[in-house]
Amino acid sequence: MRIVSGGVTDLGRVRTNNEDCFRIVESLNLFVLADGMGGEAHGEVASALAVETIVKSCMDPLDSGATLVGNSEPTWGEKTKRLTSAVHLANKNIYDAAEANPEQHGMGATLTAAWIEGSKLSIAHVGDSRAYLLRSGNLQQLTSDHSLVAEQVRRGILTAAEAEESEMQSVLLRALGALPDIEVDTEEHILFARDILMLCCDGLTRMVTEPEIAGTLQAEIDPTKAAEKLIALANERGGVDNITVIVVRVGAESRGWFSWLFGGARKRAARNGAAGGS
Amino acid sequence: MAKLSLMFEEKTVKEVPVGTRAVSIGRSPDNDLPVDNLAVSNYHARVYFEGGRLVVEDLDSLNGTFVNDLRVERATLHDGDSIWIGKHHIKVDASGDAPVPWDTGRKASAPRINETMVLDTKARREMLQQAAATGERVQFAAGRLKVPTLVIVGGRTDQKEYMLTNRLTVIGKSAMATVKVKGWFKPPMAAQINQRDDGYYIGPGDKMPSVNGAPITGPVRLNDGDVIEVSGVRMNFIFRE
Repeated sequence: MRIVSGGVTDLGRVRTNNEDCFRIVESLNLFVLADGMGGEAHGEVASALAVETIVKSCMDPLDSGATLVGNSEPTWGEKTKRLTSAVHLANKNIYDAAEANPEQHGMGATLTAAWIEGSKLSIAHVGDSRAYLLRSGNLQQLTSDHSLVAEQVRRGILTAAEAEESEMQSVLLRALGALPDIEVDTEEHILFARDILMLCCDGLTRMVTEPEIAGTLQAEIDPTKAAEKLIALANERGGVDNITVIVVRVGAESRGWFSWLFGGARKRAARNGAAGGS
Repeated sequence: MAKLSLMFEEKTVKEVPVGTRAVSIGRSPDNDLPVDNLAVSNYHARVYFEGGRLVVEDLDSLNGTFVNDLRVERATLHDGDSIWIGKHHIKVDASGDAPVPWDTGRKASAPRINETMVLDTKARREMLQQAAATGERVQFAAGRLKVPTLVIVGGRTDQKEYMLTNRLTVIGKSAMATVKVKGWFKPPMAAQINQRDDGYYIGPGDKMPSVNGAPITGPVRLNDGDVIEVSGVRMNFIFRE
């Protein structure tokens, strides 16, 4: 798979510091996004520590004898196991740091990470940042928010519309650094050519609707520009929180003569106008 | 280590720890926690750890297993929960395993609501229960026991039944699709089902599926019993108890 990506983070219009943090490791096709919390208690320390721990842990060569932390399913691939382990490690690092430094007590972070290898996508997630997959014009959510209102929707206590109006949106049920041990949501997905993956924090999803996200991702081919446009839209609506967006576009892989033959045929057809509006 | 205490009218009858092995509960004396009462089935329920969580599972008992007044088939247990079996109840003590609450020993400060905060497990449970009590009578324990399942009723696929455990289920010919469609000229990704907070939505892939005979135009929320058709495969979407 050919991967093109871009990410942007923004202060928003209300906050005075940016507690979000993200990192794209192109050589690994690793994408990590964290939203810190704890205000004066160093939310940005927590999010940076989360991202740094995960990137470092995933970049570690396997033969360094790195041991996996936390539970993993035997059916998971190597990358999925390592990514999940890295999130457990990040949780531990933030928790330990907060325990060791009294002024950092109460800090935490949400985390959403994606790792692509071939056509396999591994997602690890804790908190209320999100991963979306735009495919065949459908924007599909790959993560569940670990927030009180989302849990109430899942249990049928609130409707999705009521949840959006709720004052309790900021109450999380899970975050990195809150407890010494954590449950990580991990899933594996298959990717197809023309899929668009997006990771974002709640600063985007509280301001911008899903149809708007889908429209922007489809209209803007350049990943960085797409992220910028989404952030601009969130800021237009008030930008009450920091906003971070990572956009990853999956392209078709070139498969030698076969792809040359058919890709070429398709290109020629397109040039002749046979491909219609595409 | 988690501990189960069998209680009868506020008196402790027996205590057992929950370790790596499941604790069996029932009327038969060879259970780890025998309950001598005719309302209790021979092998009534069991309690064990799964993925770090303490789980109770009813073993198709005649009179049922209840956690805090709700009948369950399977449920995650929390510290302080009570499992009711007949006239007995079993107190769950998971305090030893319970993670340290978010705010223990830390300076108490009233959280501002626009600032993100995390709830510890006990506070979470209370808040959810309050929310449930104020709303309609919602049996939320029952909801999580239902497993969404696709039952194939026509066409060729690699299995006859699929439990939808992933947030995204791909139906198609692709080797990595969950529901693998067999046969010539089938698309790699015919359709997809996305699990969202409020339900399961089927959306188009390379094909436009139809639900109950009507072709869809965009993502459609699936209801129990819906019939989906795509790429020559007919399947029934049901919530399995």
